Amino acid sequence: MSLSLSSSSLYILPVSMAENQPTAPASEGAMDMDQVEYTLRKRLPRKLPKRKNDIYVNMKTDFKAQLARCQKMLDSGCFSEICIHGLGLAINRAINIALQLQGGSFGSLQIAANTSTVELVDDLEPELDEGEPLTRTRNNSAIHIKVFHTLPQ
Amino acid sequence: MSGVSRKEKKYAKLMRNQPSNITFSSTDQMAGRSGMGPSESQATNPRCGSFTSLQGVTGGHVQQQQVGSAQPSSYGDHRRSSYRGGFRGYRGNSRGSCHGYSQIPKSITATAFAQARAAEINAMIKAVSHKSGSQFLQSLPPTMRRRAMSHNIKRLPRRLQEIAKKEVEKVSQLKKEQSKSKSRKARRRHGSLLMEFNRRQRKNIWLETHIWHAKRFHMVKKWGYCLGNKPTTKSYRACYRSMTKQCLLQDLSYYCCLELNGTENNLLKALARLTSVDAGTTFASVACLSGKCQGSLVLYKADQYPEKPLGPVTFLWRPKTQPDSSSGNRQLWIWMHPALKMDLLTELQLVCQCLDVPVPEPAPNECKTITYVPEKQTEVVGLKRKQQDKAGEVVIPEKKIIGNGTRDPSTTVVWTSLTNGITIEDLTMEILRYRLIGPLSHCVIFEAIQAADVPKNSEEREETKMYCWWSEYCTQPEKMSLHNHQRDILQLLLGVASPAEISAGTVLGLTVGDPRLNMPRNRTTAIPDLSQPEDLEKLRDLCLNGIGAEYAQSQIWDRNVRNVVTETKISEQKLNQMRSKLLVPGTRLDLGSQESKIPILLVHQPGKMAGQEHTGWGSGWDILIPKGWGMAFWIPLIYRGARVGGLQEGAKHTQYKGLPHFPDDFPDCPAGIQHSVETKKELIDKYNKYPPAKRPNYIHYGTMTPFRCPWQQLVEEWEAHIQAGDLKLAVSGKEQELKFEVQNPNYKHAGVHENKASEEMSNKEKPSEPDEEMEEDSESVTILERNTGCKNGKNVITQDTPAESGHVSVLRSRKLLKQISMWCRPSSSRGQQTQRYRGPAQVPLAADAVKSIIGSYPRFLIWVRLSLLKKGSPIANATICVPSKEDLQLLVSDPNCPGPQESKHRDPFKQKCKALKNKKRALPKVPETTTAADLGITSVSGCGVNLVQGLWPDQIRNVISHCSRLAIGYVSQGDFSLTVGCGEALGFVSLLGLLHMISNQPPNHRGLALVRNPASLQYRFAKINIEV
Repeated sequence: MSLSLSSSSLYILPVSMAENQPTAPASEGAMDMDQVEYTLRKRLPRKLPKRKNDIYVNMKTDFKAQLARCQKMLDSGCFSEICIHGLGLAINRAINIALQLQGGSFGSLQIAANTSTVELVDDLEPELDEGEPLTRTRNNSAIHIKVFHTLPQ
Repeated sequence: MSGVSRKEKKYAKLMRNQPSNITFSSTDQMAGRSGMGPSESQATNPRCGSFTSLQGVTGGHVQQQQVGSAQPSSYGDHRRSSYRGGFRGYRGNSRGSCHGYSQIPKSITATAFAQARAAEINAMIKAVSHKSGSQFLQSLPPTMRRRAMSHNIKRLPRRLQEIAKKEVEKVSQLKKEQSKSKSRKARRRHGSLLMEFNRRQRKNIWLETHIWHAKRFHMVKKWGYCLGNKPTTKSYRACYRSMTKQCLLQDLSYYCCLELNGTENNLLKALARLTSVDAGTTFASVACLSGKCQGSLVLYKADQYPEKPLGPVTFLWRPKTQPDSSSGNRQLWIWMHPALKMDLLTELQLVCQCLDVPVPEPAPNECKTITYVPEKQTEVVGLKRKQQDKAGEVVIPEKKIIGNGTRDPSTTVVWTSLTNGITIEDLTMEILRYRLIGPLSHCVIFEAIQAADVPKNSEEREETKMYCWWSEYCTQPEKMSLHNHQRDILQLLLGVASPAEISAGTVLGLTVGDPRLNMPRNRTTAIPDLSQPEDLEKLRDLCLNGIGAEYAQSQIWDRNVRNVVTETKISEQKLNQMRSKLLVPGTRLDLGSQESKIPILLVHQPGKMAGQEHTGWGSGWDILIPKGWGMAFWIPLIYRGARVGGLQEGAKHTQYKGLPHFPDDFPDCPAGIQHSVETKKELIDKYNKYPPAKRPNYIHYGTMTPFRCPWQQLVEEWEAHIQAGDLKLAVSGKEQELKFEVQNPNYKHAGVHENKASEEMSNKEKPSEPDEEMEEDSESVTILERNTGCKNGKNVITQDTPAESGHVSVLRSRKLLKQISMWCRPSSSRGQQTQRYRGPAQVPLAADAVKSIIGSYPRFLIWVRLSLLKKGSPIANATICVPSKEDLQLLVSDPNCPGPQESKHRDPFKQKCKALKNKKRALPKVPETTTAADLGITSVSGCGVNLVQGLWPDQIRNVISHCSRLAIGYVSQGDFSLTVGCGEALGFVSLLGLLHMISNQPPNHRGLALVRNPASLQYRFAKINIEV
């Protein structure tokens, strides 16, 4: 399965991150400089091709609604399997949805999880004229859960 | 007076065919008006000899009635009724005495009587026999009339045919004389149409897409342009969806471009006076200076940074041609809104020391505004046209206006400084700018344009003389390699799905082929091709580092190339003709080296940058095209699935991005002030069109200014308010103490109880209305009082106007904005997490910090975004208020509560309005001859213009404490936001008011405010966000 992260309708932004500061407090000295001269702006994760049975989980939509959407997709009969993707903070929720689906299916659904790392880009905008605009990359974890019907034995 | 004259005319028309001796009714009419008629009537009327003066007239009337009843023709009826009217006017009150026996004369002289009757009968016969105008049909009884008779006279009875024939001839002759205008077919012929279009665009500039827009958009005339406001189709949501998921196209060619030429140092030195480092990066920012990306900033009047801004601009430096030549001239384009252009131009001339000296250089010739399409081409092409139909007459085809049609060609557009060598050039309408918004804008552009082909061998170059600029350009190897690189980047960018993934403001220069040649046959939707590109590494590098500065180079910067490109454009007609000669119809037309090569510039527009939510929303690309090529690019873009929006969609785009929209949301700029005055006038006119019962009474709602935002009063009153409570603020050291110690009488009262608040309110209103109450008591409003009232009002206004001219400014210091933005957040768990990362630069919210800001920025506004917590959608000019402690408690106890309510206000002006109305009603009864009273009345009505029922008169006081909650600001644009899914408002609050509010709020509710629409009593909770 291709690693796919969408940003259009269902994008996943780690909400817990602090604003205007890099998340990883790696080097204190470098960060102080950044605060004075740069503003951090996060870019959207890279958009990748999306199939019809890909579901991107976010933290904004109601949990129940997302669960119902997955359930509906499975019940419709159009897809034998769906892929639930979650990035960063939404990993928890993706797992939760998948488990709930499985639990409610009386054993007819199975799940298979896959993890990956997504490279995200941050822009550092200079506040002063002398500063060059910089970009930084950081990595974030993502999960891709395949939920599929088991064959009736 | 006009009524009277109209009556007279009617009367004269009526009396046209009367015999001369029947004149009594004229005396009637005169009597009705002046009261001196009867004696005259006696003198002229022979038959009245034996009557008394009164009876003479009444008798005449009675006789007329008799005649009328004896011969009941329609004509007689008509006359009778009109006479009766005249009679009534004369008799007036003593009408009752006319009836009864006294009217019947005791004796009549037979000869005189018969003579009079004979004359009348003659007149009647004459009137009946002579049919005027279209009346020949009316002589037939209605049962015999037929519709077809009016155009076929043979259907008439034969006795009437003669008359009818005459009439019809007369009418047709008249028509012939009148119809000078040509037939529709003639008018729509290409030449005459072009002439008509050229005539119409002398007044307002037309964009090149004007005709296209005029067929599909509601057009408005604004800022000297004809612009599409919104599509005529229902597409509000469809446009939003295209912005979010597809692609919205907008013609921004009305934006003006000024080109500055000069050495880098001189330019930077001059321009530094207009900007400040405090408000972010300036013209000198490294990234922009290299030409790698576009910058944007707000310019100020020279050396007056925190005050007197001019407006926002975007700018673009031309990349250096040779990297080492730092001494060479640099080119800078400043793009701005047309409402701002004249202000900025004068300011630029000032700082660059460019005087209004016309340059003797070739400039006026070269950048001539109207470029003519070469005439010979059209003659060759126009084979079908019958140009020789008017034999001998040489038909000079009208030339199409490209560019600015309103400007006089002799006006200077270039200004040069003698001291530092800076040249300013006005490039208005020389370069077109299209904006594409949305994630698909990326693929729409890259499908529509294709990089120009490079001529393969030298012979091809020689054969074409016209397209020399490209073949010349191709001879230089380094430029060729640049072109190839640019083409590679174009290929690479196709693999990027959305413009949000590219670094903001990136510029890419390109030379492209004619986009008309590879148009799809039908309208298609461009879909990103996301099959994994071959070189992922390169793509990643591109996304990380952006496009290099050297690739931003484009020949569009060169004026000569631009002109050549504009002039050598192959016309649509010629292109179609060539297409028709293709062997296989519908295949791509291959022009080879004849194909035009157009230098363009692609500028990336960042989407929503500030804030947490929806980052990258509404990002897209701008294309800059040389003039003349507008439609050639427009249609291909639309054929790739772009939807077109107008001004309204542009405003929505900025609104959802949370940015201020230029003329509307810059209350401190001259253009913004003018705009607010205009909108206010428009809205008041609209308000006045409704009857008082069908429009909101804003006084009841406690809204003093429903059509504008009184920024000036707001900041002044807050300054006074804070100064009153300043001492206590200074005493308290910590915020918690401060919360209790700031004791402002207004604030104390504010949220307690509604009735108490309204009591206080009425107390407050009292000083402003002693004279009004007097007037309410006394029924008779004396004119003298009115006049003095009017004078007072004028005095107030004159006091206000000098202050109005510019004490209010908007806070744009980034450091301060960041600080206040941090303070406005509630200190929930999330907020504390941010506190952990808070470096030494962050100042905690404390009294001394607040005080220092208050001291240094007393009269400042701050741009805020309000998102409503629950229901409600705010609209423009809604009030932003401070919630009272009870309100916050209410919110805690019941999270679903809609919010507090304002109690209904009393309308102190209602009586006054009524009195004025009665007065106006009484006006026409007053005789016109009395001059002195007349003057007084007009002045009253002049004063009363300001007094509209339901609106506060112009002089307003106490804007902040007029209602039960303290006002801190106003909404300048608000709507239900389709991006967020709740009501959202953008507006300004007074800096002092905001600081006062947040320093008095408990930390977990910090940044909560109330919003109330102008025509509503309901306050809604909203969260204040300051995004930097």
